[in-house]
Amino acid sequence: MNKRLTAFYWMTVPAVLLFFIFLTLPALQGFYYSLTNWNGFGHQYHFVGFKNYINLFQDDNVGNAYWFTFKFAIVVTIAINVLSLLIALGLNAKIRFRNFFRGIYFLPNILSVLIVGYIFNYLFSNVFTIWGRNLGITSLSTNILGSEQLAWVGVVIVAVWQGIAFNTILYLAGLQTIPTSLYEASNLDGAGKWREFWSITFPLIAPFFTINMVLAMKNSLMVFDQIVALTNGGPGRATQSISHLIYTGGFRGGEFAYQSANSVIYFIVIAMISILQLRFLQRREMDN
Amino acid sequence: MWKWGKRLSILASILLMAIIVSACNRDDAPGKVKIEFFQNKPEAKGSFDKLISRFNQEHPVIEVIQVNPPEAETVLLTRVVKNDVPDIVGLGATDTYSILAQSGIFTDLANTELPRTVDPIYLKMLKDVTGADPVYGIPYAANANGVMYNKTLFKEMGLQVPKTWDELIATAQKIKAVGKIPFYFTYKDDWQTNLPFNALGPNLVGIDFFLQRRENQVTFQDKYREVAEKQLELLKYGHGDNFGKNYADGNRAFANGQGFMYIQGSWAISEIRKANPKVELGFFPLPTGNDEQAVKLVSGIDTLLAVSESTPHKKEAEEFIAFLLKPENSKQYITEQTLFSAVKGVTQDDPSVAELLPYFKSGRVIDFADHYIPKAVQLNSIVQAFLQNGGIDAYLAKLDSEWDKVANRR
Repeated sequence: MNKRLTAFYWMTVPAVLLFFIFLTLPALQGFYYSLTNWNGFGHQYHFVGFKNYINLFQDDNVGNAYWFTFKFAIVVTIAINVLSLLIALGLNAKIRFRNFFRGIYFLPNILSVLIVGYIFNYLFSNVFTIWGRNLGITSLSTNILGSEQLAWVGVVIVAVWQGIAFNTILYLAGLQTIPTSLYEASNLDGAGKWREFWSITFPLIAPFFTINMVLAMKNSLMVFDQIVALTNGGPGRATQSISHLIYTGGFRGGEFAYQSANSVIYFIVIAMISILQLRFLQRREMDN
Repeated sequence: MWKWGKRLSILASILLMAIIVSACNRDDAPGKVKIEFFQNKPEAKGSFDKLISRFNQEHPVIEVIQVNPPEAETVLLTRVVKNDVPDIVGLGATDTYSILAQSGIFTDLANTELPRTVDPIYLKMLKDVTGADPVYGIPYAANANGVMYNKTLFKEMGLQVPKTWDELIATAQKIKAVGKIPFYFTYKDDWQTNLPFNALGPNLVGIDFFLQRRENQVTFQDKYREVAEKQLELLKYGHGDNFGKNYADGNRAFANGQGFMYIQGSWAISEIRKANPKVELGFFPLPTGNDEQAVKLVSGIDTLLAVSESTPHKKEAEEFIAFLLKPENSKQYITEQTLFSAVKGVTQDDPSVAELLPYFKSGRVIDFADHYIPKAVQLNSIVQAFLQNGGIDAYLAKLDSEWDKVANRR
């Protein structure tokens, strides 16, 4: 018994230490810097108390980034979950070339986000515009990434295209946990496909639905690579997400302390959203 | 068990050998001083490689190594945080340079021979950017910002090079009237939108504006209305998708004859020639007003050379900079890069920029506006947003409020 416990300690203690050194400590340091006016590289800085936090709430660039990020995250989360559930249902059915299709749909997850972004950037600017012109659709004949009103749609398209792959795999795994006997029974009772989905499939994959919603939401709240590759936050600041703002302001703008304060707030916001989501969705799991 | 022990010992001895060999490699030439030359221009990597290999041959005791990472300014800032400043830094005279110089990480080179070999006009530019007297950087090469034009297309339509603002607009109207593209704009990249800003601002308002703005004596709302109006005016003569094309798209399109004029910096010439080596280019300063004599060419320091304060090899670093500043080496560099030399007496002979030389000769040059605007203001995205929605009042108010916010946070 004692020996077995030592083995478990050997597993946990190093993990805790590593977690502390590489995650907790930097987070505490970030909080410390958020109370100073350090520019990120000078040799001296002063304590300014909560001035950075006060400035943060008066900065409309920050408000704008939060608004964009939330809008983006909600649209992407819904789109990813609806589409990947549909695809997973299809891939779980007894269709031909099932493994081939599963491979195809997983492909976007393997590619680097940056490379995908640059490819789509080229498509948006030089290919889709030509299609639009040939089809005579004026709204498609200019690059949507260059428009203040539409650029976010372009980023959503790429994020959804790539995000679907991973969530589809999770839904597939969920669908395979459902015993076939349930479907056989419902078949005997004469239930239609639609009824089958709402009464059997969906309730039984509810835990997977919860985790997919939380993961997709968290990932899209932290959107960064797609923005860098597609619009770099532009036009103007129309597609600037919070993490992109922290990066550009903190590392390139020489406002390290100010953006540290922003990231502290951002951390709290993401943690709160994830907890709320988990609670709400898990309660729903039990209701069913 | 025996077998494993043997295998392990073989493995260990291989590892040991590797360590010894690599340790030997590190000190292969005792007494040789290695210095690191960090520079931010990917376009210039090949040119510097050639110069460095010549330098290393001539100086057997010094070995210069070039470092040229992507996003070089960000990398440099993070290295400064780690107290790992490269021995020699090559950088544009931007706000990043200004911040670094003010943080005291570069050596004051005022008492060396180096500043005496370069044109004083550029030394003054550096002084204005940092607002400090010591010479923390030696200007090496300068660029120019103006209007590139396609000589073949101009000849076909019988157009003259415009000298005043009204002539510029008249020329653009003529080109537009025949259904061609007067200016090829590439405003998907936000830094492209500030090129007209950089030409109009210093010419119409002056550089002193920024020194006064730092003291809170003037505002953008008072002085920059004309700049904003003229930028909007130019936008009327673009193509159908001004905000959908980026810098790379523009270079390709302009090289292939789409667009008569291209508001751009001289740094794009080599890129355009890559896309079409036969294109005949000309270059003139953006005429910002109607007094032909008052128009100045916007020219900034493309690369300056600075020595780290903390390096133990200051003497060798200065020797390398002196080598780069030799007229023949500077000439080679600016010829390959189509730039202008800060070294006295070295001229650029490329036909595409011949029209700019009189401006350099008579000193009718003025610095970029954005070298004086703190990076955290994020001028580029403000200008880009303004050109999209065209609201002048909101734009000027935004410039002022962002400037004040940044000043307040420092």
